[in-house]
Amino acid sequence: MNIIILDSWLKEHLKTKASVKQIGEYLSLCSQSVEKIEKTDNDWLYDIEITTNRPDCLSVYGLARELAVILPRFNLPAKLLPLETKHELNKSEEELPLEVKITKPSLCPRFTALIFDKVVIKPSPKIVQERLEKSGIRAINNVVDISNYLMLELGSPMHTFDYDKIKNHKMILRESAGGEKITTLDGQVRPLPDGTMIIEDGEGRIIDLCGIMGGDNSQVDEKTKRVLLFVQTYDPVKIRQTCQKLAFRTDAASRFEKGVDPEGVMVAIKRAVEMFVENCEAKIASNLIDIYPHPPKTKTVDLKFNYLQQIMGVEIPQKEVLGILEPLGFKIIASSKEAIHCSIPHWRDSDINLPEDLIEEIARIYGYHHLPSNLLPNLVTEEEKDNLFEWINLAKEALKFWGFTEIVNYSMVSEQLLKNWEIQPVDCLKIANPLSDEWVYLRTSLVPSLLEVVNKNKKAKSKIFEMGNIYLPQSKDQLPEENLMLSGLLVDENFAHLKGFVESLLEEMGLVDYKINPYELQKTFYGKIFHDHRRAEVTLGKTSLGIFGEIKKSILERLGIKQRILVFDLDFNELVKYANHHKRYLPIPKYPPIIEDLSFVVPGKTYVGKIMEIIKTVNPTIKSVDLIDSYEQTRTFRVTYQDLNKTLTDKEVEKIRKKIIESLKNKFGLKLKGKKED
Amino acid sequence: MDTNRIQNLKNQAISSILESKSEKELEQARIEYLGRNGEITKLLSLLPSLKPEKRKERGILLNETKKTIEEAIKNQLSIINHQSSAIDSGWFDITMPGIKPLQGHLHLITQAIEEITDIFKKIGFTCRTYPEVEWDWYAFEGLNMPKNHPARDEWETFFIQDLFHPKYGETVLTPHTSSGQLREMERLGQPPIRMLNIGKCYRRQIDVSHAPMFYQFEGLVIDKDINITHLKGVLDYFVKQYFGPKKQSRIRPFHFQFTEPSFEVDVTCIVCGGKGCKVCKQGWMELGGSGMVHPNVLKNGGIDPSKYTGFAWGWGVERVLMMKYNVDDIRLLFNGDLRFLQQF
Repeated sequence: MNIIILDSWLKEHLKTKASVKQIGEYLSLCSQSVEKIEKTDNDWLYDIEITTNRPDCLSVYGLARELAVILPRFNLPAKLLPLETKHELNKSEEELPLEVKITKPSLCPRFTALIFDKVVIKPSPKIVQERLEKSGIRAINNVVDISNYLMLELGSPMHTFDYDKIKNHKMILRESAGGEKITTLDGQVRPLPDGTMIIEDGEGRIIDLCGIMGGDNSQVDEKTKRVLLFVQTYDPVKIRQTCQKLAFRTDAASRFEKGVDPEGVMVAIKRAVEMFVENCEAKIASNLIDIYPHPPKTKTVDLKFNYLQQIMGVEIPQKEVLGILEPLGFKIIASSKEAIHCSIPHWRDSDINLPEDLIEEIARIYGYHHLPSNLLPNLVTEEEKDNLFEWINLAKEALKFWGFTEIVNYSMVSEQLLKNWEIQPVDCLKIANPLSDEWVYLRTSLVPSLLEVVNKNKKAKSKIFEMGNIYLPQSKDQLPEENLMLSGLLVDENFAHLKGFVESLLEEMGLVDYKINPYELQKTFYGKIFHDHRRAEVTLGKTSLGIFGEIKKSILERLGIKQRILVFDLDFNELVKYANHHKRYLPIPKYPPIIEDLSFVVPGKTYVGKIMEIIKTVNPTIKSVDLIDSYEQTRTFRVTYQDLNKTLTDKEVEKIRKKIIESLKNKFGLKLKGKKED
Repeated sequence: MDTNRIQNLKNQAISSILESKSEKELEQARIEYLGRNGEITKLLSLLPSLKPEKRKERGILLNETKKTIEEAIKNQLSIINHQSSAIDSGWFDITMPGIKPLQGHLHLITQAIEEITDIFKKIGFTCRTYPEVEWDWYAFEGLNMPKNHPARDEWETFFIQDLFHPKYGETVLTPHTSSGQLREMERLGQPPIRMLNIGKCYRRQIDVSHAPMFYQFEGLVIDKDINITHLKGVLDYFVKQYFGPKKQSRIRPFHFQFTEPSFEVDVTCIVCGGKGCKVCKQGWMELGGSGMVHPNVLKNGGIDPSKYTGFAWGWGVERVLMMKYNVDDIRLLFNGDLRFLQQF
């Protein structure tokens, strides 16, 4: 949460000669981050980010208190000025009645109220108006402005009611139930979730949405004569839940949900009295109502000096430790050479609990910039190397050098995309609170998103790829399987190129014994998206490593794509399981190979891959088989025969050739071209 | 004249043609097989003496063989000629455009991740990756952020519908890589831990500097005697390696529930070099959060905080790369525009 603080207002509480720039820099280095400093008229505005653990800094006074400790560390004298109040409470001659009932003490740790009479409603003094406006709050009238002014100055939110609008002068603080409603000051009707803290006047009229905003029916207006001032602290969790449920948050609520110091309430009341008397010509018309059943006990924390040194990495002399803690408001109850025992100032009650919290206080005021930088000592891990990242890099680099551009798409996709690809929404994890319709489901394939990239770019030929997780739902109490996929897409290329990329990639990863077979399943996702005949599965043993093929026309038409789209979709986790760098030296052959071309007439629908597989297995001297020509029904293979130990003779090759011809004839009914059957 | 003899002749012819390195050698091979007294010519002249039924079949085979050999000679000749002309002729225009191999492009995020992991690997960090869809326990509760804690607001979190674990709670898209801290402690069981966890994170926000999906890299060091000066040392090392040796880093107080003390890390502004400009805060740019691991987090990870201490940081990959490459809108990284992606 950011707050805006005026330099002149700050200096009203802090006596120092430090410059605006120095204040900005040193506050950032030792406490809260000053994000911007801006000049306004003759003044300066600090825009400061206050961390959630430091609600005590959400005010002019709180920051002055910090600076009074920090600035002297940079040799800039600074003194926090005391909050003076002239008026005494509980000496009222008048006693206007107010009956208060709190149904559950935990809802409201401290409830204070005071009534003023003879209030004259008019604009606030100029300085109040100006300070509010510059801090980003609209000035309204002298009464309402008091509560806003003091919230900024002291950090205690407060509220003012028109006393005469509270029927029977009764207040019941309770939790809402059964779907009640309130019209808040801003004119909005707000249905109240059960359990919301509210105040009603005893006749069922709800006059306050506690800690968030007052009711419209009890607000101070130009006719108001008697004012009820109201300073409370609330259960922060309750306030927060209500804000979340109502999707509505005010400045006051943001403070209450971080915790407001109940001990700070009295100072705020006293300052308010002063302002009511001075700005509104008001008279105190009641004694203080202060319901505070369980004032928090002062907390204490122990800190061992060797632990301080262990975390900070340097030794801080005891004297210096005390010199930091005491100005911050910590009281040293006991100390020895080894440790201190100290109490925590009430404004830090919610934040400081552990020795580590004290260490932070000491270290930040000592100055992190004064600590040296040390590299870690050397560490030899015996852990087995996890190669995943290496293989990821290798695969990506290979694709890059083969002309692919890498894409990173969002993991979340729209319902429309699922429809286009015939993916059932129930098969995907759904985000309960999506940011937009575009990002609702977690994708179960990278392919659809890659196609969207094609559609967006309208480029003729392109090659793209993405590596990322897909999310496969398991049971209702199990995290999804996150599977790393490597998917590539070619626009207007042919199947052989696609297959070539897949094969080269597998080879780069040291995979050799894989098989590529037609993919036959119809009802799977792949069955639905790929051309019935132009799709293949890569397998290794019984493991499927992935699918590649040409995307079906019907899908492309739905997406308005006219080009031919080829896709590979590899299960990268599986690939990595088998990937290896095993390469072994084979002696370079001393004897020349015999190379021959064999042409066969092949019956229709015979897979050439199977033919080549068969040829290879005929004899170990067959070193390679390449398809060098394919025309109509004729396939010409170049066969290389080579023996490591001798020069093959024509006779030996003749024998092997006969066997090739024979097995192809038996398996597939192939006929060698130019040879009559014997 | 059997078919095997013809096949063998063909094989011999082709291999001697392929081995020819000059026109002269090639001519010799031609003469040997197709010349007036060449092997194939001789066989062709024998055809008329064969029985008619064999004559036709052998004739076809021989003629095909002749054609194949002629083709091979032609091919080899063009290879030889091409080579020799390039070497031999005097003048050559080297200003003719080169033919570049088609090259692709790695995503900037990949490039940054490679660079970052290399830097940390050198000082003993192990790269890990942990679930993106994660239980509330690992993402929040176990990191000392109880339900309804206002600190949770900083993490604009996406929740997953209908997925709940009795012990670990609701399911979220992890809003930070810090969820890997407890996972790594559980995996190793005990220190030393030096983890670099890189992964996708998700938050419900979008503008020029926020995308609903982004990457973080999380460092976690747990061991005996680890202190703030080590954190400063490691972060300073990274800043100098990644942004350049003249860059400085500093830490300032901040607050996270899962570290105590907590810091914000700044680096010398890469635009103005530290003088102060529009982009930075008085010469410094915010890099991200870090801190000493909170004892409750160590306890939740099964590590005894009285024996071990540690530090952690979690920074946006995009943030550091945008600073380095001057990219001004994070959404460019994820919208698949090739005109952007192909610049890198």
